[in-house]
Amino acid sequence: MKIGLEVHVALPTRTKLFCACSTEETEEPNENVCPTCMGFPGSKPVLNREAVRIAKSIAFVLGCKIREKISFVRKVYFYPDLPKNFQISQLDASIGYDGEVSIKTKKIRIRRVQIEEDPAKILREKGMTLLDFNRSGVPLVEIVTEPDITSEQELRMFMHELRSILYYQGVDIDREVKADLNISLGKERVEVKNVTGIKNLIDAARYEIDRQKRIIDQGREPIKETRFYDEDEKITKSAREKEADEEYGYIYETDLTDYDTSGLVIDRGIIPSKEAKELSEKYGFDEQVLDELISLDRDAYRLIVSAAGRYDPQIIVSVVEQLKKFGEQSISEAAFEALLGVGKEVSLTREMIDKAKKGESIETSVNKENIEEKVRKYMQDNKALFEKARKDTKVQNFIIGEISRKYRFNPKQVSEIIKNMNLFK
Amino acid sequence: MEEEGYIADFNGIEKPGDYFHRLRDEIQNYNEKFHAFNFIPEKLEEGFPFSVKDNICVKGVETTASSRILSGYLPPFDATVVRRVKEKGFSFIGKTNMDEFGFGSFGINTDISARNPFDEDRVAGGSSSGAAVATALIKYHIAIAESTGGSISNPASFCGVVGFTPTYGAVSRYGLIDYANSLDKIGLMARSVKDIEFVFDIMKGKDEHDSTSVDRKIENKKSRKITVIDEMISGVDEDIRKSFDSLLGKLEAQGYKISHTSLKEIGISGPVYYIISMAEASTNLAKFSGFKYGLKVEDFSLDYNTFFTNARDAFGEEAKRRIILGTFVRAASVRARYYQKALSLRALLIRKMREILKDSYILSPTMPIKAPKIKDVEKLTPVQNYMLDILTIPPNLCGFPHISFPYDYIDGLPIGAQVITDHFNDKALFSFVEDWENNFTYKFKYNLGEI
Amino acid sequence: MDDTEFDRLLRICRLRLDKKERERIKKDVDEIIGYFNKIDDLNCDLEPAFHPIEIEGRMREDSVEKFDDQEALLKNTKTYRNFVLGPRI
Repeated sequence: MKIGLEVHVALPTRTKLFCACSTEETEEPNENVCPTCMGFPGSKPVLNREAVRIAKSIAFVLGCKIREKISFVRKVYFYPDLPKNFQISQLDASIGYDGEVSIKTKKIRIRRVQIEEDPAKILREKGMTLLDFNRSGVPLVEIVTEPDITSEQELRMFMHELRSILYYQGVDIDREVKADLNISLGKERVEVKNVTGIKNLIDAARYEIDRQKRIIDQGREPIKETRFYDEDEKITKSAREKEADEEYGYIYETDLTDYDTSGLVIDRGIIPSKEAKELSEKYGFDEQVLDELISLDRDAYRLIVSAAGRYDPQIIVSVVEQLKKFGEQSISEAAFEALLGVGKEVSLTREMIDKAKKGESIETSVNKENIEEKVRKYMQDNKALFEKARKDTKVQNFIIGEISRKYRFNPKQVSEIIKNMNLFK
Repeated sequence: MEEEGYIADFNGIEKPGDYFHRLRDEIQNYNEKFHAFNFIPEKLEEGFPFSVKDNICVKGVETTASSRILSGYLPPFDATVVRRVKEKGFSFIGKTNMDEFGFGSFGINTDISARNPFDEDRVAGGSSSGAAVATALIKYHIAIAESTGGSISNPASFCGVVGFTPTYGAVSRYGLIDYANSLDKIGLMARSVKDIEFVFDIMKGKDEHDSTSVDRKIENKKSRKITVIDEMISGVDEDIRKSFDSLLGKLEAQGYKISHTSLKEIGISGPVYYIISMAEASTNLAKFSGFKYGLKVEDFSLDYNTFFTNARDAFGEEAKRRIILGTFVRAASVRARYYQKALSLRALLIRKMREILKDSYILSPTMPIKAPKIKDVEKLTPVQNYMLDILTIPPNLCGFPHISFPYDYIDGLPIGAQVITDHFNDKALFSFVEDWENNFTYKFKYNLGEI
Repeated sequence: MDDTEFDRLLRICRLRLDKKERERIKKDVDEIIGYFNKIDDLNCDLEPAFHPIEIEGRMREDSVEKFDDQEALLKNTKTYRNFVLGPRI
């Protein structure tokens, strides 16, 4: 079985790919439109630098080679949502090529990362075709894989991995993503076009794999064709023959030129699964747990990196998980540390988190006992020091400091507890 | 830049209060005979008159490129050239007739053909037929025209006016209804090169709305050398050949050094040009599908393929031919053989011509024939028709600036010569033609708007 | 060019020709392709010239500018609740 994907991802720019119209979603249709994104005669495209920069960053994190000189092509086909009846896209001079994405079982090769314009949104209502060009011209990257995926499971893993990598580039593709699937169990390739959302993509693949399997089991061959996925019926359906006969007739887009991309500064981003692996190897986290925690959570990643190596990995994970349960997305690193000091056995409460955020000391019974125990132990080991401390506040402070540092307690708390224990009297 | 030529005269003369009103009526009257304009506004503003070829957008003014498929299109913006010229106080007097989308050499691929002011039975040339006719009719006027493969030089030559095609990229194409994006150039026609130079200075320069417009200095590197390419005079009509030889004699007498050379590759420029231009045109014309602007197919219940096909019935025959051929040369199975090969050959032709242009002008007759009779050109096959563009294609294909200027009258018909220079040396052409105009007086049969 | 190929081209271009027009244009097309084939006479392996001059590609900053005459734009088209009406899909 061979599965290849063409995944379309909308880029988070302020303006469209070839005109200065806003990409913001509006209630009103055809609000952010101009002659260029409606394809009016006389209009011309002007390339958005930020779109190219983000596309370059994405190509980079997908392990692609980056082209210094890019250009665009016209891909001609007729459809009402396509303003010019050709789409400005990329082919041989695309921003990225020859990349790879690692999943557990293997590497999925990326053939190409290309920049292109989104068509308009098309709706059918009361027997009418309604077009909204707000969507038209939004910058996309199309990520084209080699047919390296060989099971539904691998498709799932790949989509998870891709989603997580793109998430760190500022794009969440969960529901937004539009993809074309190429699936062949037999000799011929079947293309399932225009599936929206990761869940539908996997459902469509599963259906199509079953369908082709059944045909082969009956001793026949699946034919080469284009199919569509019907979200309601959850099945793929054959497209009419006419549409499969389109000849794109690619030519260079001469309203644009060659563009030098070498000066565009990329967001390095991270590959979260790789990051999880490295942190686990270095500090003893559970890789699986860590991967799940950070793959779609930039904030979790930030907190973990801030504390890794200084606290018990299990405590770090436990506190982060609990913070997430409380919906915390931007807690400061200082407050996070205060909570780490509480220890892993403790269930955090809303009150504790709020205190930590305000910089107030957090007291819990478990925490208090814990500190008392550590203080007693320290006294046991340093009897002479405690003798001196009775007369000397400097030594008292030294002891408080030592205990706090050693066990990563809050010094203010330690001082209060020692005072209550009457140890310096 | 100082005003000279007709613009200077016009601005220096006191005009009667109803001048623009009368001018409009006069133009309207003559248009019934010559069909230079597709559209004339109800009222003219004050200012030096300018016309706009009908494939260039003027905000709120029907712009059709002489195609039925665009009937009713009201551009919501001005082309950059139009905006720049309007801002300098020029007065818009109408949209000029042309071959549909620029597809033609005689101005006959339109509903009503423009007529040659020197002989109404003859063609005006094309595709900027109306621009040339308007220039030959109206005394104080400049025409914004456009050339892809010779659409300025050709009608300028047939109608006895000066036609300037700038270096590709020197003038913004924003607002131009594309024929072939890598070949289209907006240029000018006038009765004197001085007016052209003045308006070119207003129009030229980088425009943020056109990614292929450039910010290069336009040079005036004059040369005293003229090269004649043998292949460019071998096929021209006998009377034109003779007349051109005498032009060379005159120029030699004025101190130019004339040399002849052979450039056999130039013979390939016709097919190379038509392959590239049709490939690009067939994609540009894909957008016309009958519902967002221009001609409307009212029946929205039709399946989109039928709907589009119905709309596209409105294309003229030459447009259909070019769409089919352009789609053919782009097809995956033959793209390398036609489209890509043609692009390589263009690179070769640019290189070969530049070798000549680095220290001399290239001069040739503009057209191999005098303005033909309308009834005669209707009999030509497309290939015979294309072959007549053989002299205007090389500079157009390669983006070299060139000017066609009148230099003789045979049997009462004007004929033009075409002077070519290197990229971005456009101003040298102005100097060259200005010298010529100092020794030669152009003839005009009409002087509408004369004061 | 055979009839099947010619008809396929027409379908791709969304063009329909009546019988006479089809005959005429088909003949012209064959003749013009013959004219195009002259380029086979010259060998050339130069880099393609997509434009006649070299142009330094300049990109636009990502700042929003609203088109100034939405009304004039949409006046060209038929709308329903500000949606553009299109043919059946």
